[in-house]
Amino acid sequence: MNSTHELKDNQTHRFVRTHPMWFKIIRKPAFVGVTFLLLVVFALLLPAREAATPAVLYTSISFFLLLILFWSANVLSDSKQPEAVKMIVSLLLIGVLCWLFYNYSGAQWDKLADFFFNWGKLTGSWRVLFRGLGVTLLLAAISAVGTIFFGLAVAILRQFKSDTLNFFLKVYVDIFRSIPMIVVMVVLFFALPYAGISLGSIVSTVLALSLGYGAYAAESFRAGIEAVHSGQIEAARSLGLSRWQTIRMIIMPQAVPVVIPPLTGNLVAMLKETAVASVVAAPELLKRARELYTSKTNPTPLVAAAIIYLVVLVPLVRIVNMLEKRVKLK
Amino acid sequence: MNKSEVMIETVDLQKYFKDLHVLKGINTKVTRSEVVAVMGPSGSGKSTFLRCLNRMEEPTSGHIYVEGIDIMAPYIDINKVRTEIGMVFQSFNLFPHLNAIENIKLAPMHVRKISDKEATERGMELLDKVGLVEKALAYPEQLSGGQQQRIAIARALAMQPQIMFFDEPTSALDPEMIGEVLDVMRRMAKEGMTMIVVSHEMGFIKEAAGRILFMADGVIVEEGTPDEIFNNSQHQRTQDFLSKIL
Repeated sequence: MNSTHELKDNQTHRFVRTHPMWFKIIRKPAFVGVTFLLLVVFALLLPAREAATPAVLYTSISFFLLLILFWSANVLSDSKQPEAVKMIVSLLLIGVLCWLFYNYSGAQWDKLADFFFNWGKLTGSWRVLFRGLGVTLLLAAISAVGTIFFGLAVAILRQFKSDTLNFFLKVYVDIFRSIPMIVVMVVLFFALPYAGISLGSIVSTVLALSLGYGAYAAESFRAGIEAVHSGQIEAARSLGLSRWQTIRMIIMPQAVPVVIPPLTGNLVAMLKETAVASVVAAPELLKRARELYTSKTNPTPLVAAAIIYLVVLVPLVRIVNMLEKRVKLK
Repeated sequence: MNKSEVMIETVDLQKYFKDLHVLKGINTKVTRSEVVAVMGPSGSGKSTFLRCLNRMEEPTSGHIYVEGIDIMAPYIDINKVRTEIGMVFQSFNLFPHLNAIENIKLAPMHVRKISDKEATERGMELLDKVGLVEKALAYPEQLSGGQQQRIAIARALAMQPQIMFFDEPTSALDPEMIGEVLDVMRRMAKEGMTMIVVSHEMGFIKEAAGRILFMADGVIVEEGTPDEIFNNSQHQRTQDFLSKIL
């Protein structure tokens, strides 16, 4: 006798999932299609902003919104729908929401375009912005070296497990993780000159970022080092390797692959944070954009700067993501 | 070399973990080429005793003499003492980022400062001795537990130690792999290596050990030859324990 069998379609069994009638109806393609057409008709019949009383306007728009949300939810929550359909429906929903906002929010779109997307005003400014980007990248690169230096130094010194040393290292890490970077920068740039130390905007920025992100990196390095099994250290020391040799030849090679994803994450965040250098007048991207904003009396350069940040940072963020996945796979 | 030369001697060795008194005064001697098995219930302090002997754990008080020198003295470079004492762990502790031969030659090259070529040659000889020449380039994760432990033994031997410590070397192994590790240890014993072995492998102990230290509650309750301990134990604690593991 055959002990296993598959249930045929429409066959009833106590293991088969059942749905109420109305649920079966709303999931039918015919229902979805017809309701879609009805919604399109509804959209066309919506009154213009100026043509209706507020009461009628807001009631009809709210009702329309409610219906399209229900309609999309019905499609998106159906596990049988292919992902492509769900993507199209999602984009459609976003499109409709944008369209509603554009038509009914009462925003002054022409003025917005004139202020923030006045690309004509940017002629000749791109070179200035890209020079700013160069300074931003330079700041980030030098600060990255500083970050790794401070982070690694703190993490390694912690391995010597001296209580006195640990106290001061903890004080450093806690202070710099608690103070906003912009404050550190301002103190270094504006206050230190009164103590007879003038660092200049670039050096203050690099120092502030290195010290600040170094404190974060130290924690990442420490996590990496602590991920190395204690038996590894015992084995190394039992062979007669010194503490320093153990750190260099046993711990570091095992900790670094673990540390790279969070560290790159820190460094990408730091690249973004270089924007605060604009408050101490380091001639980086945001500072340049703000200068252009003033000289052109138009904020479009700020939008351009935002786009440049986006173009530079999105690929980096993707790379960090890939690194994280690769470490997890290992 | 005097056969009865004392390799390790402990005098009133004490160890506390915070308030926990783990070793309550251990006095013993191990002579050259002797194979000493340390047995006892879990928590009796046998692993702590072994780990104190090369100061992997810092003893709280007492003296440890290695080849007659008190290694608890402040002027002692413990790293130099450890080069004379090979140690094999329950969980192998091979370096996962290095392959077998690199694991073996790391310490000889960086502690003994011998050349890469010489260390490799000597390492291959040791791999041959433990029967794993063909695994020279394999990484620990590609090896079975038994193979890893044999590599770990070769790694310890590469420093040409005078004494070998084994801390439950077969406890983490699947039953079918225990034999291959014990075979290597048996051969070392025959070749005259001084060994202290924390283990409950009765077969190996009967055959290879010259003396058993039976520990309980941080003291050596009883010591004697395997025959004396297994067949003619004078202490209730020992008899109870043996009746449980036999």
